Amino acid sequence: MNKGSRNRRVDKNNVMLAILLLALLVLAACTRSTDADVKDETYARTEPATGRKELILAIGSEPEEGFDPTTGWGRYGSPLFQSTLFKRDSEMNIVNDLATGYEVDDEGKVWTVTLRGDVVFSDGVPLTAEDVQFTFETAAKSGSVVDLTDLERVEAVDEHTVRFVLKRPNSTFVSILAATGIVPKHAYSDDYSRHPVGSGPYRLVQWDRGQQLIVEANPLYYGEKPPFDKLTFLFMDEDTAFAAVRAGQVDMAQVPAAFARQNIAGYRLVNLRTVDNRGIMFPYVKAGEVEREDGYPVGNDVTADIAIRKAVNVAIDRNKLVEGVLEGFGTPAYTAVDGLPWWNEESVIEDGDPARAIEILAQGGWSLASDGIMEKDGRRAEFTLLYPASDLTRQSLALAVKDMVRPAGIHIHVEGKSWDELRKMMHAHAVLFGWGSLDPLEMYHLHAGTMKGIDYFNPGYYENPVVDAWMEKALTARTEQEAIPYWKKAQWDGKHGLSARGDAPWAWLVNIDHLYFVRENLDIGRPHIQPHGHGWPVTDNIGEWKWID
Amino acid sequence: MNLRLRALLTVIVASVLLIVIAVWGTLIPVEQMETRLELRNLPPSISHPFGTDWLGRDMLQRTLKGLSVSIQVGLAGAACSALIATVLGLAAATLGKAADRLVSWLIDLFLSVPHLVTLILIAFVSGGGMRGVIIAVALTHWPNLARIVRAEAMQVMTADYVAISRRLGRSRRWIAWHHVFPHLWPQVLVGFLLLFPHAILHEAAISFLGLGLSPHEPAVGIILSESMRYLSTGMWWLAVFPGLCLLIIVRMFDRLGEQLRLLTDPRHARL
Repeated sequence: MNKGSRNRRVDKNNVMLAILLLALLVLAACTRSTDADVKDETYARTEPATGRKELILAIGSEPEEGFDPTTGWGRYGSPLFQSTLFKRDSEMNIVNDLATGYEVDDEGKVWTVTLRGDVVFSDGVPLTAEDVQFTFETAAKSGSVVDLTDLERVEAVDEHTVRFVLKRPNSTFVSILAATGIVPKHAYSDDYSRHPVGSGPYRLVQWDRGQQLIVEANPLYYGEKPPFDKLTFLFMDEDTAFAAVRAGQVDMAQVPAAFARQNIAGYRLVNLRTVDNRGIMFPYVKAGEVEREDGYPVGNDVTADIAIRKAVNVAIDRNKLVEGVLEGFGTPAYTAVDGLPWWNEESVIEDGDPARAIEILAQGGWSLASDGIMEKDGRRAEFTLLYPASDLTRQSLALAVKDMVRPAGIHIHVEGKSWDELRKMMHAHAVLFGWGSLDPLEMYHLHAGTMKGIDYFNPGYYENPVVDAWMEKALTARTEQEAIPYWKKAQWDGKHGLSARGDAPWAWLVNIDHLYFVRENLDIGRPHIQPHGHGWPVTDNIGEWKWID
Repeated sequence: MNLRLRALLTVIVASVLLIVIAVWGTLIPVEQMETRLELRNLPPSISHPFGTDWLGRDMLQRTLKGLSVSIQVGLAGAACSALIATVLGLAAATLGKAADRLVSWLIDLFLSVPHLVTLILIAFVSGGGMRGVIIAVALTHWPNLARIVRAEAMQVMTADYVAISRRLGRSRRWIAWHHVFPHLWPQVLVGFLLLFPHAILHEAAISFLGLGLSPHEPAVGIILSESMRYLSTGMWWLAVFPGLCLLIIVRMFDRLGEQLRLLTDPRHARL
């Protein structure tokens, strides 16, 4: 055999090998989790028996950082193992949980919270004001996502009274009290996040990382006993969860919109309204107007023009985005707080109207150039829209928006980037972000002049003194209720506002419904409006869940 | 029809087809790739032979565009790789023992690490994107060809006329360029063509893993990885057609290289 043909055979083998490899990759991606999961007996088919005292849930990703509320566990939903001073009912009102009530002094700086006297942790030790003090002091020190910058000090007045002293009045502080689970001072250590002890409805039994979490009812829980003794959370990717539903292996599973249109015998689809929103953030200032210490570029000459921002807002057809990208499982978004008590319904605008967008641009001094793109003083109406490359929904939204604003003469370049790159580029380019907290403070974070360029807050350097003044009034109000009119005015007061009616620093697109396949005879009560999807917000009202006959 | 004619015909047909796809893909107007939300998730039909995706984009157009992108990436990657292989192989054979040892060590080094791992590493370090993929493909595919070039060049170096040339006082570099390189030309061309399918498949593989092109660009690897999400809902056409086309293109390059070797290699050239 001569050299030529031997080489050829080697090459050919390599090619076949490479093809095989690609095929294997494809296969590996779809079967990976199934193989690993099926072996465990927990996954064996469970009968949909009414009266069964245990549930198997596949409702979202694993909280990899563990279950420590002082570093953020539970802030988007119920902490499950711990309980909070207050909580929100299905109408989003603040109601007592561990607390029996609270008082705020006239200045709005001193909050006094009284506690129930009958609460014990799952290890039998009573929960006292000292534990509350310890929780908030630990959280403030942790420098995590729990934002306690406004808290000056917290002190235990007596066994059942806690006093919070704030640096400045903040009506949203009650939201933090409703989102932070209380940890036990006596049982808190470095590995608390893996072995949580709390006063919540459930206690942890077993956590197999990457596979499952088993919890059982806490017999010492002070509230209404949940009807289920044992919950098993399975950590599956979307495909596997969907397959598990089809096989009847789980009682409830979260699925993406792509799967939701299918009928599965024995299950019904529950779509929960959310403020899990997606929107386009526009750089608000001109390029070079602001300099950052880290040298990242700030500002964009095209999106700094209000005509462009308004035209994009008007040209987008939000209902079509909901229908087309979310398969109908969502709602149009007009602000970051749609559907929450502090949302101003006047922020809703007429959209899906490229002709109106062209009018707005013409009034702003833009005119059509020969290639169908608007121009003003030699500058073309084009900008780059970035999205996190790993997120298919945001990618789809970005591409659909690009095609929706094109008839109005605006050209968008869509680019997918990693979060690292986004962080560097987000002050100078439009970015498709997602937010959605049940705390009105988020609206402040996203739009306040004082928050310009801090972390992911207000990356576009938006600032309007009128809006800032309304938000300041809302913060300094004594209660959440009193603050609501001011929050609404910040969005639109008839002349100014942070919504698309006013300065339009964002083009909010959609709120994404959270979709669950739930066993037909499982009633999950009336969950309140769902926040951005971290943790398991849907378990917030687990006390109401029950089998129906 | 004799063997030679058949080989020639295969070469012509394959090259024309590949060039047509590459050019056609770049000429597809942007409007054809637009999202049309009212036409989404359609199975294959006469107006959309490959069906449409979840944004209503026509899959035939996306596949063609993707193949064209793949061919271009493959072309650039394979060309750079072939260049590196030729330069290094030639240097090893003609520039003395030290150069030879260095190049052989380099070849061994690259061959000792699994291909895909090096590829992923380089693509990651060079920041992904089209550039990253091309650099990664270029830097990982040369060792095999470099070996062949080196062996071939060494053979030529032992020829009489090279010895005479050296006696006449020609420098090593002059000999490498004027005597050895012309001999290697057919080998390099065939080697380049056979690198091509590897380059395309590896481009698809790293794009599939998310380290390649931007995820909305219609490269075949991206199309395939996107389709995974929709397979469980029964949208088989998102994966089957693009995958099949990729396979066909790769096979076509393979055939092209083989037939070209038949035509140029004197040991095979039969009438």
